[in-house]
Amino acid sequence: MDQFKQKAIEEAYELIADLEASLLVLEDNSDDKSHISKVFRIMHTLKGNSAMFGFDYIAEYTHHIESIYDLVRNDKLKLNKDIFDLTLNSVDHLNLLLEDVNLEVEANKTRHQAKLSELISFVKKINTLIESGVAFIDLDAGKIPQESVIVPEPEPIPEPIEIVEETKSEPVIEAELPAVEESKVLITTYLVSIVPHKEMLQMGTNPVFLFDDLADLGLIDVYSEIVSDKMSFNELNPTQCYVSWKVILSTSHGEDAIKDVFIFVESDCDLEIKKISDDSIFEKQDALNEIKKIIGFTETKSILDLNYTFEQIAKPVIKEENSKVVASTPKSTADAPIVPVTTVEVKKVEKVATQSTTAKDAAATSIRVPSERLDTLMNLVSELVTTQARLSMYAETSDNTEVSAIAENVQKLTRQLRDIAFNICLVPIQNLLTRFQRLVRDLSAELKKDVELYIEGSETELDKSMIESLSDPIMHILRNSLDHGIEMPEVREKLGKPKKAAIHIRAFYSGANVIIQITDDGAGIDLDKVKNKAISKGLVAPDAILTKKDIIELLFLPGFSTADKITGVSGRGVGMDVVRRKIMDIRGEVDVDTKPGVGTSMTIRLPLTLSIIDGLLVEIDGVSYIIPLSVVDKCYAVEHSRILSSYNNIIVLDGEQIPFYYMREEFNSKTSAPSTEQIIVVRYEEHRIGIVIDTIIGEYQAVLKPLGKMYKKQDMISGASILGDGTIALVLDSNKIIKRFSHQELS
Amino acid sequence: MNELSALTSYLSFKLGDETFAANVSKVLNILEMTKITKVPKAPDYMKGVINLRGTVLPLVDTRIKFGLTATEFTANTCILVLDIQIGEDSLQVGGLVDAVQEVLEIEPHQILPAPNIGSKYHSDFICGMYKASEEQFIMILDMDKVFSAEELMTVQETSQAIH
Repeated sequence: MDQFKQKAIEEAYELIADLEASLLVLEDNSDDKSHISKVFRIMHTLKGNSAMFGFDYIAEYTHHIESIYDLVRNDKLKLNKDIFDLTLNSVDHLNLLLEDVNLEVEANKTRHQAKLSELISFVKKINTLIESGVAFIDLDAGKIPQESVIVPEPEPIPEPIEIVEETKSEPVIEAELPAVEESKVLITTYLVSIVPHKEMLQMGTNPVFLFDDLADLGLIDVYSEIVSDKMSFNELNPTQCYVSWKVILSTSHGEDAIKDVFIFVESDCDLEIKKISDDSIFEKQDALNEIKKIIGFTETKSILDLNYTFEQIAKPVIKEENSKVVASTPKSTADAPIVPVTTVEVKKVEKVATQSTTAKDAAATSIRVPSERLDTLMNLVSELVTTQARLSMYAETSDNTEVSAIAENVQKLTRQLRDIAFNICLVPIQNLLTRFQRLVRDLSAELKKDVELYIEGSETELDKSMIESLSDPIMHILRNSLDHGIEMPEVREKLGKPKKAAIHIRAFYSGANVIIQITDDGAGIDLDKVKNKAISKGLVAPDAILTKKDIIELLFLPGFSTADKITGVSGRGVGMDVVRRKIMDIRGEVDVDTKPGVGTSMTIRLPLTLSIIDGLLVEIDGVSYIIPLSVVDKCYAVEHSRILSSYNNIIVLDGEQIPFYYMREEFNSKTSAPSTEQIIVVRYEEHRIGIVIDTIIGEYQAVLKPLGKMYKKQDMISGASILGDGTIALVLDSNKIIKRFSHQELS
Repeated sequence: MNELSALTSYLSFKLGDETFAANVSKVLNILEMTKITKVPKAPDYMKGVINLRGTVLPLVDTRIKFGLTATEFTANTCILVLDIQIGEDSLQVGGLVDAVQEVLEIEPHQILPAPNIGSKYHSDFICGMYKASEEQFIMILDMDKVFSAEELMTVQETSQAIH
């Protein structure tokens, strides 16, 4: 059961996230009916799920919010900011409740009670207004209008019979006659009355299957009845059950067998089983009619001609005359009309059932998979890639052509499998970004600033593990923007900027990277202030000449903050250094660009995948290295003498001057270089740089393994990969090499 | 193997002329020499990385770490795969030793306190001495300390290197 609960909680988290997103959309289009219904629907599902798994607190709480939105949905209440605030607060509270579903922590309990009473009083307030006869409540209006603009016409109460048609989806089963020899078997007739609780359908119970099971026991006849005919059509909730049934069952099985049918729904309905005859009542048309009359069924009210069916069923048995009058028939005083709905043969029901399963299959376009399973999948694929490399290697060295062919096939398949496995692990960045809508909304209200968050490219996909680690950094950047970057509305007006500030989050692909750009149109970073602060903190010498880039770099120092005062939002100095470190942990980079008065832009650059890359396998001084293929532009063979004679590490290739990086020198190789070396031109942003290596071995799918903490300092190497022969190749981080290179150039 | 025997069993190995011992609970594996991939620009004592059944294992030259000359590879040279506890994390690391000797049963009372002065070895690493015979002492090492000190150094260097 616990695993189900876990699932339910996971699902609830998702629902709440959906709810929050929908609420935020709704806030902008508060008259949009479809969004109101969506919000209502999500809450309803949440309530149903919670009740089903015994999360009573959540169910109760959601119920109250739901009732508010029910009024909104029925045009009885106008949405306003108060309601939004209340519901958004509730969303937060629901998240808390999910963490502690049974309110075991005392603090949570008191908090829940406070929240609940707040909510209830709000609901009560509205209810009193409604009871006082107000048809439409607009809480924003200073006084409650006595007559509203939109008066929803109460729907005329439809004839009960209409509702029956509405619920026709519950087909009633008429069993085919089981081929039983008549006389020998002791047949008893029961009247089974089933009054389902309203929520029965929400538990996933399908009454049709119950009748199906009953039909297996013997002959049955089902009559349905509307539980409450005083309801208007509008009040009907399609997820609730308003029908009850009476079943006449002639069976050779005992009462216990009938009870067994209802074993799973016992708690969801009121069940009554009465013995009405010691015979099969279907054998006696008269008696049957008599019973029908007693339980309230009259022929005139039938929609379909049931007689025909009855006769058909009764015919074979009717021959046997048994005039025993059923005297023990119980008296029923039910006034409600009982109407047989339709008669369907069991076969037909089966058909319906199969249809519904196929419909279900078609709907199942996505499935939920625990993320650990995906991690395992990725690990296995990684192992497979490594093993495949071994096979390829073996195939190359052996003379067996058949093995070579197989190895080639395996290689192709592995590549496809790898790509698919990667795709599975990609999630759209949307889930992450919608969270921030809320943050910006709340924070801008708190800071009394007027800010709108625009999100572009939310369909961009990223490895799921990266998405998790991105949340904090982006949140931090947004907080910084809101607190320091964006000016107060009055200031903005004076500056001739639009009063409403804008923050844009753009996510897009760029080569083998995903780039997330966060831009605001605020004041920008005051570079002089940053510099002065750094000088006063003794981080740089007062006479140091710093470029813009250098100053921006200062922002990433631990404990650096230019905020004059510490606010609850930001300014504590635990800031950009943490952001950078977190992004670096997932092999990403952060860049800042700013223009005073115009705004600041933060660019997060991330690799597409974390674990397997296509690489170029090369050799330097007898050691294998891998350069990610995504950054490789071109390869050239160059005489060693040309490299020796080049001035300032610049070489002319294809008529273009390209600075190069001599890896042998960098790695302090002691052996002598080969006479012909290779230059691999790699690209990074606007730079093109050559990396000089000994030889190129070939293309290689590299499964990245971390080098571990012991080698943290080796920033030119981003990981290692195991080759087919079991040796290790180191993965060169070309971006870092280039950065280092350009840094050396500067200094 | 029960816990108690794990606690009193020690693996002895040679570095140069001296014999050391490490608690077997720290030693996951003993490997023969295998191909080492050198990591460029790493400190001297970081010998490189090796492939341990598909994972990349960093390799430390224990001799350099202990102030001796770099290990010369012989037929007896072995790699001890060690499980090092650094704070909360456990870390696997390979240590090069000149030769592996035997597994000794040493009761706690047989362990003599480590001498504080006159030792050319960093006495922090040594948690006690065991008198194997009249002329031979075995130094019992605290492997966590031997390797975590390293780790600390690397981390510190990294943080200094930020700017």
